[in-house]
Amino acid sequence: MKEESGRYVYCIMKSPGEKKSFGNIGFGGQEVYTLEYRDFAPVMSNAALKKYEAIDEEVELHRKVVEQVMKEHSVLPVAYGMAFKNKKLLLIAMSVGYKAMKKAMNEVDNRVELGVKLFLPKENATWDGKEECKSVFLEALKKKAVQSKELKLFSERLILNTSFLIDRDKINDFSSEVEQLGNKYPDLKIQYSGPWPPYNFVDIQILSRKRGGFR
Amino acid sequence: MFIIDDILLRQLGITIPGLSLVWTLEQIRDFAYKELYNPEKVKNKIKENRLLFEFGELTSGEYENNNAKLLQELKLAQRGTEMNLSVRTDILGAR
Repeated sequence: MKEESGRYVYCIMKSPGEKKSFGNIGFGGQEVYTLEYRDFAPVMSNAALKKYEAIDEEVELHRKVVEQVMKEHSVLPVAYGMAFKNKKLLLIAMSVGYKAMKKAMNEVDNRVELGVKLFLPKENATWDGKEECKSVFLEALKKKAVQSKELKLFSERLILNTSFLIDRDKINDFSSEVEQLGNKYPDLKIQYSGPWPPYNFVDIQILSRKRGGFR
Repeated sequence: MFIIDDILLRQLGITIPGLSLVWTLEQIRDFAYKELYNPEKVKNKIKENRLLFEFGELTSGEYENNNAKLLQELKLAQRGTEMNLSVRTDILGAR
């Protein structure tokens, strides 16, 4: 296999103390492994330096790698498409971002992101109880979460789109709260998703470019 | 004659923003373009399409079909915003 000098970064985790391999699950079947930088370790694979277009399959591959890593480790997710020309430049980025990463890791360590979307049924898209329903959900779920972030309502039928940062050991508690709330509003369509890497709670931008940046 | 005056003035390379009919028409056109080629709106439609599929309101065929169209629309919209529509190049050299 051709040895690429570029480095594609999927996420950052706490240093495991030595190089750790996650198998050949990276772009082009390349090995995904860690590099040591102080107490952090970027999870990466050797890859060509190119513009990574947002193609479904490739975004999915990036997502799967991060999910694989987060099964055992707390991660700082990195935006899709973040590739460095070589290892040296990656290490420079790590040093520039070190302080911000340290702070972010304190926030998200042992926590995951869960998403809740409430969607009005087709037949009742103008329901006037939606504001009240939204408050009921938010009030109850915020109590169970460390942080929450309201996201864009990208459809007229979408009345709530919120991400919650939850302690790993409280996921079940949060899930049953979502279920109970859902039972109160049987007509609503609810999408409860996760656990995700804390994409909406980490926002570090280093060497920010038009696409990607070091988020 | 306002219209003729305006067109004459434009031929001389003079426009008075706000008073010129062509200027006004251009504003309306640009607004229409922005509405039509607004990448944010297309991205919203892409997400909505996905959600409708996940809730079982669309079949996978319908989802794929819509998605392909919307991605094409997004490309156009992004190209549209990269070009500044109100800047024109006058090949005769006068603006």
